[in-house]
Amino acid sequence: MPDILQDLKKAVLEGDDEQALKLVRSALQQGIQPITLVNQAIMPGIQEAGILWKKNTYFQSDVIMSAEAFRMAMEVVEPLLTAGEVVSSKKIAIGTVAGDMHNLGKIIVIAMLRGAGFNVIDLGEDVPVDTFINTVKIQKPDILGLGCYMTTTMLEMKEVLKNLNDSGLRGQVKVIIGGVPTSQEFADEIGADGWGKDALDAVYKVKTLLGVS
Amino acid sequence: MTDRKAQAGSLLSSEISPGLPWIPVSAQMHDHAMVVAGVPARKYYWDAKTFVQTYREVATYYGMDIIAPASDVYNFEIEAMGGKLVYSDNAMPTIDYRDPLIKKPEDLKKLKTPDFYKDGRLPFALDCIKLQKSKTGRFCGIFSMAVGLRSYPLLIRDMRRRPEFVDSLFNFIIDDVLLPFFKAQKDYCGITTAYGADAWACVPNLSVKEMKDWVVPYNQKLARKAEEFGVTAWTGSGDYCEEDLDKFDKDAVYGCFDIQLASRGGNELTLGMGNWHIYPLEPVREYTDKLRQQGINIFIRAGVNARVVRDGPVEKIIAIIKRYISTLARDHELTIWLANIPADTPAEHVHAAVAAAHTFGHKPLVKDLNKVKVEVPRRETFQEWKMKSRVVK
Repeated sequence: MPDILQDLKKAVLEGDDEQALKLVRSALQQGIQPITLVNQAIMPGIQEAGILWKKNTYFQSDVIMSAEAFRMAMEVVEPLLTAGEVVSSKKIAIGTVAGDMHNLGKIIVIAMLRGAGFNVIDLGEDVPVDTFINTVKIQKPDILGLGCYMTTTMLEMKEVLKNLNDSGLRGQVKVIIGGVPTSQEFADEIGADGWGKDALDAVYKVKTLLGVS
Repeated sequence: MTDRKAQAGSLLSSEISPGLPWIPVSAQMHDHAMVVAGVPARKYYWDAKTFVQTYREVATYYGMDIIAPASDVYNFEIEAMGGKLVYSDNAMPTIDYRDPLIKKPEDLKKLKTPDFYKDGRLPFALDCIKLQKSKTGRFCGIFSMAVGLRSYPLLIRDMRRRPEFVDSLFNFIIDDVLLPFFKAQKDYCGITTAYGADAWACVPNLSVKEMKDWVVPYNQKLARKAEEFGVTAWTGSGDYCEEDLDKFDKDAVYGCFDIQLASRGGNELTLGMGNWHIYPLEPVREYTDKLRQQGINIFIRAGVNARVVRDGPVEKIIAIIKRYISTLARDHELTIWLANIPADTPAEHVHAAVAAAHTFGHKPLVKDLNKVKVEVPRRETFQEWKMKSRVVK
């Protein structure tokens, strides 16, 4: 592997976003294909951050920096990928429910999902129920991810599930939830298909729900 | 451990009524109390009398032994400095972390000490403390306030790339926000102690090393400066909140306990918002045994995880409390803490927790708690209880 790819992977892994950007631009100028950057440096970088998290070597502060470096690198590379190079046909729409502004967990989950090759639509924070429903209707994601941080806003998740049922859309999308106050019991109670206890677990649950390895 | 620390350590104990016949129970439950009592959020989080009275009534209904109404303590200072919050009809106000007040380091210079009697909901915060007639004030811990002002990703980046800016930010929070806030709390409410919530400064949000480098020194600096005008400040940093039992790390737990003792300035440890219902408790005992050998007795606040309190079932909640009491109560001062009761928690879960603490924790403790049976009382609803209480009055 050329040094620049190794350096780029290291920059993503170590959360050095400025260095990652510099290396992406430099690699593109050298004629390295965008898909090569994604597959051989950017994705392996964020994936290794996940492994270090699992091993207790990385803490959230490390992972968020890796996620930011990943995001910034992908912002440059992604528009240059051709249609055939889209990383995955599986689509995940994810947002923090209405009334909740917390986005830290979502940022990390999105980076980990993209790092695992999924096509992720970030619906943002404080997302109204209608937006989740319309997204399922129009964009037809395979998975809908709902996040929250507060014990009051977690109740919005129930509303999303109820509206999916009422609108006849429940059967066409799997729903996974996450966030500090949520639990597997709560996921079962509201009829979600899965609960991610952290970002890595969310990726694992998404893969399981979609039947991909 | 200094004299100041030893004194501070007894403060929590002093909130407990003397002669209480059982292990006391306390809870963080602002959202839950609001929902149980059916009070609109826009009244509850703005009107101090409504907040304190509602919280007290709901805590009394449950039979809590320590009632310390605390509101949305992470918001007040930031809101008063102009930070963007999002308000709702049925939830606590929340900081909009997407739009931080300090977007670039230069923005720090624009921030001013709030007027504690006028700005934002600081008058509400002051009135809440005053109405409680407590000598303990409240504040948002330094690290958590920095997260609220700058956002977590930007603050972490600053810690790695612009440490001098972070130092300026933390010193601004100490000198220009918190110390004047303590003075206002002292003048207006007569506080002698101030307790800072610092949920952002925990494992795994930060490593133990990051907390030792960036959290403890500033907490201690704040405490030293506050002591100069007669306020003992302690900050609740250093909680251990790892989600995954497979990742439970005894050394990290010990590191967190070191941080708690250094930041709280006392001899109290909190098993807080983490999954202590499944974590092993032996490391806690090993840690406190070492301190006991040095003549330091540790007071433990054992938290029952919010999700467990919400999800139940009652039998699980009772078993968790039995385990805490059985393992920790015989040679520690212990309180059971229901760690942030979720809004829609069934009342019977809270009643069960209180009954379990009072039954298993009845003093003197029974040798074999397996022989003790907890009767969970069949209780009226909060509304029925309130109606009856009014008739009795």
